[in-house]
Amino acid sequence: MNILVFVKQVADTEARILIKSDNKSLEIENKYNLNFFDEFAVEEAIRLKTKLKESKIIVCTCGGKKAIEALRTAIAMGADQAYLIDNTDMDTEDPLITAKILAGFAKKEGFDIILCGRQAIDDENGAIGPMVAEFLNIPHISAIMKLDVKDEKHMIVERDLEGARQTFEVELPALFTTQKGINEPRVPLITGVMKAMKANIPILDPLTLGFQKEELNNGASKIGVLFYETPKARPPVKIIDGETPQDKAKKLVKLLKEEAKVL
Amino acid sequence: MGKDICVFIECKEGKIRKTSFELLTKGRELTDKLLSNLLAVLIGDNVINLAEDIRPYEEKVIIIDGEVYKDYRWDTYTDALEFITKKYSPFLIIGASTITGKDLFPRLTARIGAAFISDATGIEIIDGELKVKKPIYGGKIISWVSPKSTDKVIITFRPNSFSIEKGNRTGEVIEEKINAVPDKRMHLVNITKGQSEKVDLQEADFIICGGRGMKDPENFKILEEIADIIGARVGASRAVVDSKWRDYEDQIGKSGKTVSPKLYIGCGVSGALHHTMSMDTSKVVVAINKDPNALIFQYADYGIVDDLFNVLPALKEELMAAKKEG
Ligand SMILES: Cc1cc2nc3c(=O)[nH]c(=O)nc-3n(C[C@H](O)[C@H](O)[C@H](O)COP(=O)(O)OP(=O)(O)OC[C@H]3O[C@@H](n4cnc5c(N)ncnc54)[C@H](O)[C@@H]3O)c2cc1C
Ligand SMILES: Nc1ncnc2c1ncn2[C@@H]1O[C@H](COP(=O)(O)O)[C@@H](O)[C@H]1O
Repeated sequence: MNILVFVKQVADTEARILIKSDNKSLEIENKYNLNFFDEFAVEEAIRLKTKLKESKIIVCTCGGKKAIEALRTAIAMGADQAYLIDNTDMDTEDPLITAKILAGFAKKEGFDIILCGRQAIDDENGAIGPMVAEFLNIPHISAIMKLDVKDEKHMIVERDLEGARQTFEVELPALFTTQKGINEPRVPLITGVMKAMKANIPILDPLTLGFQKEELNNGASKIGVLFYETPKARPPVKIIDGETPQDKAKKLVKLLKEEAKVL
Repeated sequence: MGKDICVFIECKEGKIRKTSFELLTKGRELTDKLLSNLLAVLIGDNVINLAEDIRPYEEKVIIIDGEVYKDYRWDTYTDALEFITKKYSPFLIIGASTITGKDLFPRLTARIGAAFISDATGIEIIDGELKVKKPIYGGKIISWVSPKSTDKVIITFRPNSFSIEKGNRTGEVIEEKINAVPDKRMHLVNITKGQSEKVDLQEADFIICGGRGMKDPENFKILEEIADIIGARVGASRAVVDSKWRDYEDQIGKSGKTVSPKLYIGCGVSGALHHTMSMDTSKVVVAINKDPNALIFQYADYGIVDDLFNVLPALKEELMAAKKEG
C-alpha cells in the first residue's frame, strides 16, 4: 500500500516577516519548520503503516530547494521515501496550481491513502487537501481527529463538524486532512536524523508530471497579490487605574459602554 | 459571466447562521454598486420555511430541499452548487470560512476551475475590480489579493468580518430540484451532537477567555456566569486545554480557532504569540492580568493590572448592574 503524505515547509510563527519596499514581496527570517498540521499527517502515516501490511510512506512537497529540510524532518520521523517537486519557476500564489501538481504526482506514484495537514500556517488557505481529492476524483474527509483501519479497503474516520462528532466509513483510495488532537507527533530519534541526512531525495520537475508549461506558470495563476501591508496597530493600551478592583471594574464597564460602545 | 453574486447560506440546528447574514449584508452592498442581483442559495432538508428570514436581503432565494441534504457532505453540496453556478452564472460566490466552508469551497473551486481566496476579512470593488483583504502568517501581514479575471471567483470570509443590516427587499423564492447522489465511497455511520446550544466560538460577538491564571477548572464558573450576562462564549488558551480544564473546541490560537469578536476579554492569559495571532482582529480587547509586563497588554485596548480573583466578581456585579440599566 502506498501512503502519500503532502507536507509544506513554512516560516516559523516566531520568524520576523518584513514587507519589502516594492510592497509586493516579503522578507522572511531564516527560520522554517515542517507545517504544524503536517506533523500530525506524518505521525498518522507512521502509525498507519504498523497496521497495514506491506505499506510504504512517501512524503512529497512542492517548494523551493530549501524545502528539502522539511522532507528530511519527515524521514527522520519515519517516512520511507521523499520527493521534492521544484516549483521555483511556477506560480505559487494560486493553491489550485499546487493542488494540480500534487495530484499529478499522486497519479504518477500511485496511492491508496493520501494524508495532508488541515491548513498551512503561512497562507492559511486550508485548500490543498479537498482540491487534490477533487482532481483525483476520490473522497476526502477534512480535519480528522481519529483514523482506524477497518480492513485493507476501508477506513473509519472521525471529525468534528460545527460542534458535532461525525464518524465516516470511507473506501480507499481516499484523502484525509489532519487536525490537532489526532495524535502526538513524535520527536525524531537521533538514528532517524542520521538516516534522514543520508537519504537520497529526488528533485522532480513538475513538467515531468504531465503538464504543459502554460498550465503551471506565469499567467496560469487565477489570483495575484496587489500589495502587502502591516495590520493596523492598536493604540497603546489604556491601563485602568483605581483604588480597588471594584473601582477598576466599574471604570472598565463605563468605558466599554461609552467609549468603545461595545456593550 | 454575469455580474450577479451568490451567497451560500449555512444553517445550524435548523437556523440560519449569523455569519450568513453578514455575507448577505455585504453581498447586497456589492450588488448595489454593480447594479446586479444578489442570489442566496439555501441547501438542506425542510429549509423552505427559512426563506422568509433571508428574503429581505436579496433578489432571489434559491432553495434546494431534500433529504439527501440533511447533513452537510461535500459530495451532495458540491453537486448542488455546481448546478447553481452553471444555471445562474454568478461571477462571484461567497461563503463563510467555517469548518463547512473550508471543506466545501476548495472542492467546488477545483470542480469548476475558479479563482479562490479563502479566509478573507474584507472586500472592495473599485472600478469593477475586486480587492480582497486576507490576513496571512497568523495575521502578521495583510495581503490584498485580486482575482486575475472576473470569470468565476470564490471567496470565503472569516465569521464576524461584516456587520448585519436587514434590508427591505422581497426576494423571489425559487425552488430547484437537484438529485444529488451521495458518494458511495463514504458512509456517514454516526453523529454525536456536542454542546450545540452554545453559539459557535468563531461566531460569538463576545468572548471571555480564561488562561492558566484561572488556576483551576472550577474557577471557570465565574467566566460562564459573566458570559451569560453579556451573551458571550467562554474561550481558553492552549495551556488550559492541555491541562484538560476545558474542551479543545474552546481553544483559541494557532492550533485552535481563529476568532474575531466585537469584544474579547482575556483573564489570566499571558498573550503568547500563538494565542494572540488568532484573536488579534477582535474589535475591542480587554486584558486582566496581575503582571503589568504581560504581553497581552500589547494587544489590548483596555487593561486591568490586578488579581483576577478580585476583579472578576466585581466585573460580574458591574455588568449585571449595567444590564439592568439597559
Ligand atoms: C506550536 C505551538 C502551538 C500553540 N498553539 C496555541 C494555541 O492554539 N493557543 C494558545 O493559547 N496557545 C498556544 N500555544 C502555547 C502558547 O505559546 C502559550 O504557551 C500559551 O498560550 C500560554 O497560555 P496561558 O496564557 O494561559 O498561560 P501562561 O503563559 O502561563 O500565562 C498565565 C498568565 O496568567 C497570569 N496570572 C496568573 N495568576 C493570575 C491572577 N491571580 N490574576 C491575574 N493574572 C494572573 C500570569 O501573569 C500570566 O500572564 C502554542 C505553542 C506552540 C509551540
Ligand atoms: N506546496 C505544498 N507541497 C505539498 N503539500 C502542501 C503544499 N501546500 C500545502 N500542502 C499541504 O496541504 C495542506 C493545506 O495547505 P493550505 O491549503 O496551503 O492551507 C498543508 O497542511 C500541507 O499538508
